Amino acid sequence: MQDTVSSEYPVFEVFVQKEPLGFHTNVGSLRAANPELALQMARETFFRRENAYDIWVVPQDCIFGTAHDEAHLPVSGLDKGYRLPGGYDNASHWKKFRAKAMTIEEVAEDMRS
Amino acid sequence: MEETERTRIFMERINAGEKIEANDWMPAEYRNLLIKQIHMHGISEIMGAYPEKEWVPKAPSIRRKLALNAKVQDEIGHGQMLLRLAEDLSRPYGRGREELMDDVLDGRVKFHNVFHMEAPTWADAGVIGFLVDGGAIITQAMLLDSSYAPYARMLKRIVAEESFHMQHGEAVVLALAEGSQAQRDMLQGAINRWWEPMMFFFGPVQMGKGAQRMMEYKIRTKTNEELRQKFINRYVPRITSLGMTIPDSELRQDPDTKEWHYSQPDWERYNAMVRLNSGPMSQARIAMRRQAHEEQRWVREAMNKASERQVSEHQPAI
Repeated sequence: MQDTVSSEYPVFEVFVQKEPLGFHTNVGSLRAANPELALQMARETFFRRENAYDIWVVPQDCIFGTAHDEAHLPVSGLDKGYRLPGGYDNASHWKKFRAKAMTIEEVAEDMRS
Repeated sequence: MEETERTRIFMERINAGEKIEANDWMPAEYRNLLIKQIHMHGISEIMGAYPEKEWVPKAPSIRRKLALNAKVQDEIGHGQMLLRLAEDLSRPYGRGREELMDDVLDGRVKFHNVFHMEAPTWADAGVIGFLVDGGAIITQAMLLDSSYAPYARMLKRIVAEESFHMQHGEAVVLALAEGSQAQRDMLQGAINRWWEPMMFFFGPVQMGKGAQRMMEYKIRTKTNEELRQKFINRYVPRITSLGMTIPDSELRQDPDTKEWHYSQPDWERYNAMVRLNSGPMSQARIAMRRQAHEEQRWVREAMNKASERQVSEHQPAI
């Protein structure tokens, strides 16, 4: 009977969302008997000083990750300028038309005022 | 791929300054050195809480009591975070928390020499924060650049909290230095007790094979002696500015090389203390750890049993 009961707690990975508009970020892991206690342990271990907006604990064996090499990770040597705002040189053309280029940051700023 | 070829590629990554993750392939030697280092570090954090906790009920004011209590919580938190890293690395060996903890009780993992010592006065509680945490921060700041990313990431968190320990220790030391003659004498007594163990703390000038391999793997980036020199350089002016003396008549700085010359600590005595757990407080503190770990085992077993159904029936929150 003795050896059928384990005293080893399962592992939970801890994710914290620091503010409403932030994403959940992994901060480490801990051992606890169940998810409720894992949340309590997360408070004790990682948030004695910091504020948190939301905390997730996820059983470690529920996480599936990529292998950590180039074949498995989205790293590309290709020029992806066509996907990026910096890939377009519109400002010099707008200048010819005597108008100013516009950036998304300006538009966002305008919406705030 | 062949083992030697994998090792060659691994070393190329290390030498290019790349960081290694827990699930990356790594040579067994790299894994074993990391386990040894992080296991000892984690256990030292936990054993370091014992000399400090002795002073929680005896702290001279409620604010000091709160601060010391916070520090003890931090050390246990650091221990738990570091043990998790050691456990992830130990997975191929099938060793988890229970076994890594049993290792302390059975003398299979060492912890820092300073935590085998007595902390007989309130000044010792302050000087531990001042010199021991100060020394630990120097070592940990070096490890922030470690090639093993999970360790370096966790140390960022740990060092931020250790900086409170350093400030807290200095505040206690400064209050005593600004106090009565009796308080100043008590402070000097504590400095006299802790200086020599701190010279031992950084390890021998001639590093062992493991420590040398850790440099080659960029797990650590500085030699024992470089760390010790940085410590002496930082703390000699601070201690003397308080009007305190350092209990080493040999201590002097070479005006040209800026190297510090110092008396060798009693290597044999401290080595035996760490290896055999034969320091003045080693056995008493291990007994407390044993009580916490073994006498509460039935609680962990009961919690696991009670949680079996709970986990399978648990409704996700999102």
